[in-house]
Amino acid sequence: MTILSIEGLKGGYSEVDILNGIDLVLREGQILTVAGTNGAGKSTLAKAVVGLLPRVSGSVRLAGKDITSLAPEKRAQNGIGYVPQVANVFPSLTIAENLEVVEGVQDRKARISEMFRLFPALAERKRARAGRLSGGERQQLAYARALMTRPRVVVLDEPTAALSPALVADSFARIASLASDGTSILLIEQRARQALAISNQGAIMDGGRVAMEGPAAELLNNEKAADLYLGHYST
Amino acid sequence: MTAYAELMIGGLMSGLVVGLAALAITLVFGIARFANAATGDTMTAGAYVALSVSGATGSVIVGGLVGALAGAAIGVVVYFLIFRKLAGRSSVANLLASIGVAFIIRAIVGVIFEHQQQVFQLPLVRPWRILDIRVQPSDLNLAIVAVLTLATVFLILYATPVGRRMRAVADDPGLARISGISPTRVMIALWALAGSVSAVAGVMYGIKTVVTPEMGWDMLLPAFAAAILGGIGHPVGAICAGILLGTIQEMATPFVGFTYKLAISFVVLLIVLLVRPSGLFGRNEGAR
Repeated sequence: MTILSIEGLKGGYSEVDILNGIDLVLREGQILTVAGTNGAGKSTLAKAVVGLLPRVSGSVRLAGKDITSLAPEKRAQNGIGYVPQVANVFPSLTIAENLEVVEGVQDRKARISEMFRLFPALAERKRARAGRLSGGERQQLAYARALMTRPRVVVLDEPTAALSPALVADSFARIASLASDGTSILLIEQRARQALAISNQGAIMDGGRVAMEGPAAELLNNEKAADLYLGHYST
Repeated sequence: MTAYAELMIGGLMSGLVVGLAALAITLVFGIARFANAATGDTMTAGAYVALSVSGATGSVIVGGLVGALAGAAIGVVVYFLIFRKLAGRSSVANLLASIGVAFIIRAIVGVIFEHQQQVFQLPLVRPWRILDIRVQPSDLNLAIVAVLTLATVFLILYATPVGRRMRAVADDPGLARISGISPTRVMIALWALAGSVSAVAGVMYGIKTVVTPEMGWDMLLPAFAAAILGGIGHPVGAICAGILLGTIQEMATPFVGFTYKLAISFVVLLIVLLVRPSGLFGRNEGAR
């Protein structure tokens, strides 16, 4: 079943379009990796899906419902979670407060306890300010915050970008684990080969368009994709 | 020595008023991201409402409470009529709009309450003498009101869901929205809180001095100075800086005279900002 469909999506931050007509489909419980060079429009696509891009045309549908005109907070309450690349926690709030502020959560206390079970490192420091956490802890908190509403789709914008190399593999394992629990994931990622390795589908963006797309395994073995976008060695 | 101690008490009192006004400014700056020049005139309106109600009921406490509610109402109305429509515009556009709002509030106050000075009708009470230092009982009452107001604000900010959401929006408005937080609800709470704090500051100032349509506007400069000195967007900093500036002003009076005491506080402001550009409690990112 299609959980997220993007059709003819165009838009940008000002007069100039950065997205030039994107068509993508994410199926329930799957991971769709969107890769591409710097400036291809990947993060702009993520912002368009979650409602933070000021100007868009085309459509974004969540489980068949058109959410293109919904405000970001309404999209969040409708089941879209988002982990931005940077600035993904509230630094002056404690870990517990970062989770408490999320709206649209049923049985908040039980859900926070679930998040602490899922991310035990956070439970140990729940009164610590988020601004004092390490990169890895911040990312765990960002995931926990995004998962509070039990989202149907989680948009991850370059989740490994700010991590030390030692934590990258853990991060991909966590993403795969989320999908295995039934969460659908739109994964924006520079480390394309590693991301595609855990994905069901893949797309490569170039100049605000989808240049190539298909099953992740096929893209990984595609010579043209390797020559132009992915490189021939895993990063 | 006794005279200096009395000056210090006077400085603490005016510092609390400045600190409360600075708190209102810093709350709006931290969350709505602009310097609200209507803070002073919201103080004035709150003071006039409190004056009228206390005159009608004979109770300054009831008057003060209604004044605080009036301040909250003014804040919310101004948000819906003006600042909600300016959301996303530059901070300069919002600042200019707030100056316009200040003039409108002052004009309405002038039409309703007229322009002559008025005073709160308080019973004359003999001052206490503690170690030969005169302490006005009304000063103690006002200090208690200021502390209760501060306690209420910090309780709201740190112990209620809406307060946590206000702090979340202050941290990162975009992240707050994608966390499902409605900016409108947060802004209503913010403007109600900032308006009522402004009004309490106005009532305190009115009780200490006289109530005039210009009283709040005159307080705006020291309040802005305290907000900047404390670290703009930092509530604790605003209060501490207000008390510091108020005390320094009063203590400097014997040396520089009444006319220049305000200038002394700005000298202190400049010196502190030279050493700590982000203010006493501020961080480099500006708003918190």
